[in-house]
Amino acid sequence: MVERRSLAEQVTLLDLVDRVLNKGVVVTGDVTLSVADVDLVYVGLRLLLASAATLEREAAR
Amino acid sequence: MIEAPAGTAWYVYGVAEDDPTLARLEGVELIRDSGLTAVVRAVPLEEYDEAALPERLNDRDWLERNARAHEDVLQEVAAVTAVVPLRFGAIYRSRDQVLGMLDERAGEFRSTLERVRGHVELGVKAWVDLPSLERTLGGDEVAAGSAGAAYLQRRRQEQERSRQATARCAELAEEAHRRLSEVAVAAVANRPQPRELTGRTEAMVLNGAYLVRSGDDLLRLEVERLAKEHSSDGVEYELTGPWPPHNFAEERT
Repeated sequence: MVERRSLAEQVTLLDLVDRVLNKGVVVTGDVTLSVADVDLVYVGLRLLLASAATLEREAAR
Repeated sequence: MIEAPAGTAWYVYGVAEDDPTLARLEGVELIRDSGLTAVVRAVPLEEYDEAALPERLNDRDWLERNARAHEDVLQEVAAVTAVVPLRFGAIYRSRDQVLGMLDERAGEFRSTLERVRGHVELGVKAWVDLPSLERTLGGDEVAAGSAGAAYLQRRRQEQERSRQATARCAELAEEAHRRLSEVAVAAVANRPQPRELTGRTEAMVLNGAYLVRSGDDLLRLEVERLAKEHSSDGVEYELTGPWPPHNFAEERT
């Protein structure tokens, strides 16, 4: 079993996005992320993280 | 508490139970109303401008810095008192609007605070190394015969093994979530993160969040048991937390 304390520096960006952007109570502020925006984040993040993961794998070689 | 400086707005991280020790937190302001405290910080409005936001969110450094800041504040608040995490990006131009939001949602915030008080969220992920799981499932030896028939038989066995492995993954994940739910106050099975995002060769089969009493060790012990029992299936467990109750912030209907 791998144990990771959630001190922010040990947590992956993916886990953070999963909680901070996808969970929590939604309130209507002056600026509110709409569902469409969050989908955009996912699309963007998918590309960004995928390329970052590829880079890390390449760097590890 | 005065208004946010010119060009800035209040970013609300969460709503906490009023507690005098909150005043000791650095870098945040408190907006209080009848027993509820909004934990806020003045942020440059231009960064969260609706037009600029989609672009910002796709800037990995910006996203990471601000998502971590959001989490850090919630962790600090959670260390002091019960808190309802708000979703990223709740911005208000004036103090009155924050007060209005607190007032409008007061009932919901109070019942959620009641539910999460004295509890923490733990995350459990299960990863499966599919090749080693398929090996444990075994399979019949290929019978002697013509090369073509042997090939077809091998292909069929591979497909069958892959089907069995998928079914076994679902079974393992279901068993793990059930057993972990039994030692938790509340439980959520989130969609496993896809491999192209995790960058790992193993497949994530469980992405669960569990609300447990603060200091309660039962869930961690159950994860250890599961890890032992499922290690021969090529399953690895990962425990994260304690987190503020992100997954348990929305009122149950």
